[in-house]
Order: sequence, then C-alpha cells, then structure tokens
Amino acid sequence: MSEVMTMDAPSASAVAASAPVLEARGLSKRYGDVEAVSSLDLRVGPSEIYCLLGPNGAGKTTTIHLFLGFLEPTAGSVRVMGLDVAAEPLESKRRLAYVPEQVMLYRNLSGLENLEYFAALGGRGSLAPDRLTDILVGAGLPPDAVGQRVSEYSKGMRQKVGIAIAIAKEAGALLLDEPTSGLDPKASNEFSELLERLRGRGVAVLMATHDLFRAKETGTRVGIMRHGRLVNEMSTDEIGHADLERIYLEHMHE
Amino acid sequence: MIKHIVRKEFTDMVRDGRFRWCAALVGALLLVSLGHGWIQARQAQEELAAAQATARDHWESQGEKNPHSAAHYGIYAFKPRLALSFVDEGVDPYTGTSVWLEAHRQNEFLMRPAQDATAAQRVGALTAAQVLQNLVPLLVILLTFGALAGEREQGTLRQLLATGIGRRELAVGKAMGVAGALALLLVPAAVVGAAALVIGSSGPAASSLARGAVLAGVYLAYFAAFVGLGLAVSAWARSARTALVVLVGVWVVNGLVAPRAAVDLSKWIHPTPSAVEFAQTLEREMAAGVEGISRPDRAAFGQRLLAEFGVERAEDLPVNEVGLYLQESEEFGNRIFDRNYGALWDTFERQGLVHEALAVAAPLLAVRTLSMGLAGTDVEQHRHFATAAETYRRDLMRQMNGDLAENSRTGELYTAGPELWAEVPPLQYDAPTLGWVLENRLLSLLVLGLWLVGAVLLAARRVRLAEVA
Repeated sequence: MSEVMTMDAPSASAVAASAPVLEARGLSKRYGDVEAVSSLDLRVGPSEIYCLLGPNGAGKTTTIHLFLGFLEPTAGSVRVMGLDVAAEPLESKRRLAYVPEQVMLYRNLSGLENLEYFAALGGRGSLAPDRLTDILVGAGLPPDAVGQRVSEYSKGMRQKVGIAIAIAKEAGALLLDEPTSGLDPKASNEFSELLERLRGRGVAVLMATHDLFRAKETGTRVGIMRHGRLVNEMSTDEIGHADLERIYLEHMHE
Repeated sequence: MIKHIVRKEFTDMVRDGRFRWCAALVGALLLVSLGHGWIQARQAQEELAAAQATARDHWESQGEKNPHSAAHYGIYAFKPRLALSFVDEGVDPYTGTSVWLEAHRQNEFLMRPAQDATAAQRVGALTAAQVLQNLVPLLVILLTFGALAGEREQGTLRQLLATGIGRRELAVGKAMGVAGALALLLVPAAVVGAAALVIGSSGPAASSLARGAVLAGVYLAYFAAFVGLGLAVSAWARSARTALVVLVGVWVVNGLVAPRAAVDLSKWIHPTPSAVEFAQTLEREMAAGVEGISRPDRAAFGQRLLAEFGVERAEDLPVNEVGLYLQESEEFGNRIFDRNYGALWDTFERQGLVHEALAVAAPLLAVRTLSMGLAGTDVEQHRHFATAAETYRRDLMRQMNGDLAENSRTGELYTAGPELWAEVPPLQYDAPTLGWVLENRLLSLLVLGLWLVGAVLLAARRVRLAEVA
C-alpha cells in the first residue's frame, strides 16, 4: 500500500472547524411503518474517519446508500463536498469511492481488468496498466493474481480489488460498508494503515462496521446507531476500548 | 465512458463459454441456411430457365393445328425468383412458382414443394429468415436477460453505479456491447449474403443489393427492439431468472404463438372458401353464369353476328363465327374469374392487413411480412405475378381465337402453323420494384418502427427506475 502518499493528519479540532465533506441533515428514510433512518444529522470533515456502529438493521447501510443516492430520502438531505445528492446524483458520486461488505467483480475479467474498468468509469480512464498493477499490489493483492480471472479469487482477494478500486478513484470521500469482512487479521491491519494514509491525504471516511476494536483503533470519531437514530457520538481520543464497549452495550440494552 | 462499457461487455461475453457455444451454433445455422438457400435458389433458377426453354420449345413445335386447339395445348409461365429469395422463400413453397395457361381456365399455381413434402420436411426446412427471425432474438435474450438483473443479483450494479456512471450511459454501453457480440456472427453472414446476392443476381446487382440493404435494416431494427426489450425486462425483474423466464415467454409468444394466432384470427375475421368450395363455385358459375354475367347463348350470338354483317348464313360471314364465339366465351369466363379470383385476392389482402396490424402484439409478424416482401416471395408479389400471367393468358387466347376468326370462315377446317406460334411473345414479367414493396408494406414498417421506439423508451424508463440492490 505504498502508493498512497503519507501526510500528517490534522487534529480533531481542525477537522471540526472545516467544511464537511459528507453531511446529512435531518435525514430520514421510511419503508412503510419502519423508519430505517430517523432525523440523522451527521458531518464528516476532511481527514476524518467516522465509524458508524450499530447492530444489524440499525440503519448504517441505509445511511451509506442514501449518501450514494441509491435511495431517496423520505426527509432531509445529503450532501457530498457541498453537492446535494438528490439534485446532482452523478457529480456527487464522482466525488465518492465506495467499498461494500462483499465486493463483487466480473468473473470473466482479471483483477487488473476489473480495476481498469471501474477506474475508467470513475473518471480515471488514463491510468496505465503498471500503475493499476501497483495499486492492486498496494492494496494487498498478490502480484501473480493480478492477471488471473476473478473467478479464481477468494473473497479476501476480491475485497482487496474493491479497496484498490476505491484508491484508484482518488475521491475526496470514502464510504465503507463493513469493508474488512472476509479479510484475515493481517489484511485488516493493512487496511487500517491504508485508511490512516488516506486520512493523511485529507480524505473523509464514513465506515459502517460491527468491529468496535477497529472503530476505536482506526476511527477519529464513532457514532452509535440504533433503530435508525444516532444515539451517541464521540471522539475516539476521548475514550478507551473498554469505555466504547460499555457505552455501546448500554445503548443496545436500552 | 461508453466505450469502456462496450469493451468490457464485449470481452465479458466472448469469454463466456455459453455465449461462444450459442453464437457458434446460431452462426453455423445461419451460414448453412444461407448456403443451402443459395444452392436451392441457383438450382431453381437453372431449372426455371430449362423449363422455360422446354415449354417454349413445346409451344413452338406443336405442329399444324387449329389455333383454338393450340390454346388448349397451353403453355407454362414461370415466376422468376429474385436474388434475395435465397434468404426467405416466403410463401413460394405453398403457392408454387409456375402456372399452366390454357383456354377457358384460370389455373392454380403448380410446383408447390410443400404439397409434396412430408410433415418432417416442412418442420425441418430451416431458412436463413427463420434463423434471423427466431434464433437470433433468442441469442439476444441470452445476452441481455442478465444485463442489469444479473448485475444487481451479483452485487456489481451498486459498485458500478457508485462510480458515478449515468444509467443511460450504462444502458447504451450494454446495448452496444450486445451489438458488438452479435456483430461477430451477423457481419460474416451479411458479407456472405452480399456476395451471394452479387453472384446470384440475374438483373442489376445494385437493385438486389438495395433490397438486401433494406432487409438488413429491417432485421437490425428487429434485433435492436429485442435488445431494448431485453434491457427493459432485465432492469425491471427482481432476479435474472425472472428476467429470463419473462423474455423466453415473450419469445414463445412472438415466434410460436403469434404467427399461428395471426393466421387463424385473420382467417376468422375474413374467411376464405376451401379449395373445393372455390372450385365448385367456379364450376357452377361457369356453367350457368351468375347475376349480371350471363353465359353467351350460341344461337343468339350467331343471329347478332349475321345482323351485324348483314348476311343470312354463317358461311357468308367474312369472319369465322366459331373464333368470335370462342372469344366471347373467353370474355364470359374472364368475368367469372375476375369476380371470384378478385374476391379471393381481396380477401387475402384484407387478411394480410389484419396480419400486419397484429404485429403490434408481436414484431415478428411485421418482420416476416417485410422479409418476404423484400425477398419477392410474399402473397402480394405472388398476386402480382399471377395477374401478369393471367393477362398474358388472355392475350394469348385473344390472339389464337382472333387468328381463327380472321383467317378462316365458319365451317372451314383451319389450321395454323409454327409462324403463328412464334408470333406469340414469351411472357415478359417485371417484378415489383423496391419502392412498390415498401409502399405496400408501410404498415409493417410503421409497426416495426413503433416496436423499436417503444422498446428503446421502455428500456430507458426501466433502467432509470431500476433498483440498485
């Protein structure tokens, strides 16, 4: 993952003062009687890694899909780098990179061809094959797997290609939905290091995760969601692992 | 942006073993059917030329005889085949391509291959038109059913749309990718077809190529409509399996149900008599006449003739009464034929219109009509030739009876010889032009156009509304 430039990450106070890269205002999404997301106010600034914690069905993935414009909000608005997602769905997506829980790729294409395709669609059509290979290897894909068809890849390898796709886009914001699912501990650690380097470049990261430990280790802020509501929000500088676990469990038992 | 999608779709498809097998099979069937059709057309052309020469030879070498006997001796007329008929033999196997022209009768066409074919032969006869009308759409369905439903099912659609690519660009790219894959089998077939047209064309090659180009355009519009339909259903369906089931259902209705139903429905709305009923009606009316058309009375005709020439005996007439009466009988028969065949052809025409209109339910009906029309093998062009052949028959009868009437006297034994037979010109038939065909098939062109526009609009709408996950 050496291709990502390393910079000093700004402080939490500097982040709070700057304009948000990702912003949700009064965001709600309702499916019939069920409110998947309810009056959510969320701001993620540059060089910030915001981890959304919560059980299944808490509204984390729905929130990410609302940022991606895959879903239309019932109320409120979503902005990406100042662009209203509802008004400018394509432009806002071009400023985002996204890694889903299970990265799915085209089985008949190689990892390199998949990356080339997604990078081209993301507006990086001019990347040379060597550069694309560097990104794949940098994301942790074994060099000899780069040219292999994806049908021969393990889930972890596909996840690494998904991360490479996000890196290649060089977007200002990164949306991650359980991105380390399927990765072994070593790869997960490498992924955390990668996020740290992206943070150093000013990228804003919104990551939905169940992993409290990694949220505390990687994130700059965590938000706890339950029944579609953001019930707590805190800086990771202010709490320890045990505190986070305790607060989380308290909310889950409310 | 679109070129990346096209390239990826094309690569993805050609690497898919299922596509390779299906495309190879359809491509092979297309080339074999084109080759087979071309060989058959060539053979038919050679047989036609030989038969025409033989028929003419028989006519000219029939020896000395009464001209009216020569009229009964008769002559064959052969419908020339257009070069493009090797693609679509249309109704020719059912209507026949030659007609026996003789006195007092408007005969039905002969040489109907389907009449002599076994049931298995009828089913098994695979023409290029059948491959293009039925198998290529099936291949299009196989290429499009998973275009969006499959991507959604696999989870690649949300990653794709998360890149910031527009849905319209995605749909256009996918459609062009399918077009590229189809081109792998259609371009070689088109090249082979064009070469066959140039080699097999008896008239100017440019005319055949112009018809071929329009035919290619018709089929491209048909395939494009199927691509649009495939994308629309794929965008709408919750799963690739559902999309496949729906599209195969559309294919079955379009290719198997609609053609049969259209024939039955058009016949139900505009019924035609059976061959036996038609023959019985003709026989009855020829024997007794019908209201407004009376069979000429020989005695009254003779009296009228005597009065007209101011003589008392038929032998004193300056013309042969028999020849004139025979022609009078011919004219009577012609009116009966015009009345019955005219009504029959008009009913066929009305059935054809219903058939064309029903293409709003199945584009195959429009394509089939246009394909046969451009190949010169549809009912309309059969009628066009039949009318020309009947006009020729009437002229022939008029010439024979006229010769008898003018060159002999009543009661005289008269014979004509080879000079008269040679004076009869061979049938010069000019097949309808491309403009005539298109003018007569405007409804089918319009309906096919509607299918194309409708499928594209439907695809655009469904892709815009498609759920991501």
